[in-house]
Amino acid sequence: MIIGTAKETYRADAALLTTQPQRVWMAIFLAALLALPFVLDAYWLYLVCLAMINVGAATGLNILTGYTGLVSLGQAAFMAVGAYTVAWLERELGTPMLVNLTAAGGVAAAVGVLVGIPSLRVKGLYLAIATIAASFILHFVFVHWVPVTGGASGINVPPATFFGVELVTYFRLYWVILPVTALMVLGAANLFRTRIGRAFIAVRDRDISAEVLGIPLLRYKLMSFGIASFYAGVSGGLWAYFFRVVTPESFPLLASIFLLAAIIVGGMGTILGGIIGAIFMTLAPEMLRFVVEWVSPWVPGAGTLLSPLRTVVFGAMIVGFLVFEPQGIAEIVARVRRYFRLWPFRT
Amino acid sequence: MFSLTRRRVTGLMAGVALVAGLGAAQAQEDDIVIGGSIPLTGVFAFAGVAIEAGMQDYITQVNEAGGIGGRNLRLAYEDTGYKVDQSVAVFNKLTSQDEIHLYYGDSTGFAKTIAPELNRMGGMIMGGASFASELNDPEEHPYMFMAGPDYSEMIAILMEYIAEETPGAKIVLVNSDTEFGRDPIESSRAKAAELGLEIVEEIITPPTAVDVSTEVLKLRRARPDYTIFHGYILAPLPEFMTQAQQLGLETKFMGTFWSMDSSIWDSVGEPADGFMGVMPYRYYYDEEADAPTMAKIREMRPDYQATGYMQGYLSAMLMAESARRVLDQGQELTGSNLKAAMNTIEDFDTGGLIGIPISIPGNSVPVGRVYQYSAAEKKMQPVSDWITVTE
Repeated sequence: MIIGTAKETYRADAALLTTQPQRVWMAIFLAALLALPFVLDAYWLYLVCLAMINVGAATGLNILTGYTGLVSLGQAAFMAVGAYTVAWLERELGTPMLVNLTAAGGVAAAVGVLVGIPSLRVKGLYLAIATIAASFILHFVFVHWVPVTGGASGINVPPATFFGVELVTYFRLYWVILPVTALMVLGAANLFRTRIGRAFIAVRDRDISAEVLGIPLLRYKLMSFGIASFYAGVSGGLWAYFFRVVTPESFPLLASIFLLAAIIVGGMGTILGGIIGAIFMTLAPEMLRFVVEWVSPWVPGAGTLLSPLRTVVFGAMIVGFLVFEPQGIAEIVARVRRYFRLWPFRT
Repeated sequence: MFSLTRRRVTGLMAGVALVAGLGAAQAQEDDIVIGGSIPLTGVFAFAGVAIEAGMQDYITQVNEAGGIGGRNLRLAYEDTGYKVDQSVAVFNKLTSQDEIHLYYGDSTGFAKTIAPELNRMGGMIMGGASFASELNDPEEHPYMFMAGPDYSEMIAILMEYIAEETPGAKIVLVNSDTEFGRDPIESSRAKAAELGLEIVEEIITPPTAVDVSTEVLKLRRARPDYTIFHGYILAPLPEFMTQAQQLGLETKFMGTFWSMDSSIWDSVGEPADGFMGVMPYRYYYDEEADAPTMAKIREMRPDYQATGYMQGYLSAMLMAESARRVLDQGQELTGSNLKAAMNTIEDFDTGGLIGIPISIPGNSVPVGRVYQYSAAEKKMQPVSDWITVTE
């Protein structure tokens, strides 16, 4: 039971983890992450890696949409920019992986800032349409800039190497994807303890007031676009190493919608929301596979019969969360935490 | 009296799960498993469902005849929604559940994504729904195969036919702006030059194009003898054909394998009449003599089966044949053994599924025939003999 958290220093007030149980759970969670690849088979490890890549991209989008209030449907296109950057660097220069990933983030951020320019004038749905338009322009570039992007058939990416070790198995890739994603999430969490992050929130809550408070809107909106795209670019770079081929069809508009859905389902404007949302959206359809598998001994041809149902159930789950948990799944976690705060004296 | 408490529901669910687990564990240990990332939902579901049926039917036949060296074949497959990340997930799931040496993939994107892993593992060969020219490269993709001609070879078959019928014909290529659509453009140009055909216009349309009037005007200016579509299933072909007819254009329209299912043209009706295209297999209703496989299929399935069915059927047949040859040699089922065995397939009789004996020198079966749709009979009718193309 925790009655209150007495904070005696400013440091403690600004800390990411404020209570003892939080610290303990975080330690357990990190230990579990370290242990995962030793206990999971290729399938689960693949899913965990994919979920982590999505976590990175969703966290980026969360900074932009959840914290700064700028609706974007271009996140997947920025991922594509990152993926192409990595693919191109690997093919042409063969530079080290970490350099490539950083470059992927940098190039994506530059493109993101460019795309973000209209955000000063247009908001909400209008901005969403502007970002969709940007992703179509980028798609056109990917298809037609053949010397760089390889045109419609894309680029095959050689495996990443790290000090001479070829990262070809999911087990090895995990040790790259995990720290990179963890760093990105940690960075995002810390961002909102700084002036920049708080300025983003001010812009979201009321941009005119923010400007009155001395926050230059253009600079901060573009900064938000830049950071979000950097995240997308790095995730896209990881994606390129993970799937080893990048084509213009690798990142369809649907992938942007997927990421937006992830942060809405998870909980916009909370770091935890982006993480949970991305994990949920990646894993839930796979979990439903097992439901199909369980009933298949009784239903002849269950695979063909029930697979369409799987998509329906997944869709219904999303609608259900939106209706019954409009704050996102992160809110459920918060409620559980509140419950245990006074446990066992009050339930 | 019996109220549904949370505990009871949980208990019930656990019970169900337990029973289900037991049921699932019934599968035989020494089965030869064919894995499959098959699109049962999404844009390609129509084909996936047919493919699954075709593979299952062939597998049933093999098993009824005693299996392969006494071992049964089994298809372990899951839905992919025609999305690459899900296809890879299914691949990982199935390969960690079963020992798999034969695999059916659902798309070009998936095949390209999994190719490095396939080369690394070296334990299996993979066929699939993709006829991408890029995959027809035994050097680069030693463990891939396709149960038909690749897209370039399909266009080549059409052009061979055109060169025969109308030497020096003018051709317009219409391709969708996708990897699928752009696949054979380069090679088509080369083939046309080789056969003395003239490509007078190349039209690229967005994949979801609905209004095609400007493209039809280009057709009108170009006045081609033949218009070859590639990269579409159905839309926007009917629209093209209707408008061209209204303008009184004489051009003949052609398509490739995935637009050639006759059931999709039935609903189009009159404008579909005369549509031609390349098809590597016989149609379900093709009752030409000496096709025991077709008779068997009609016996197993009284209703029309789509072209995807034939594709799945032949894929399973080639996989099974390769496995049989490897096991007959007393070798292990590995990727290179299976592929080597598949390449020994020469003048192989498919029982009439394909009208002539086939050989697989590389990754593809470069055979096909030109069919033409008859709206009156609602059937595709052969207009050429079986054409084999070799590079």
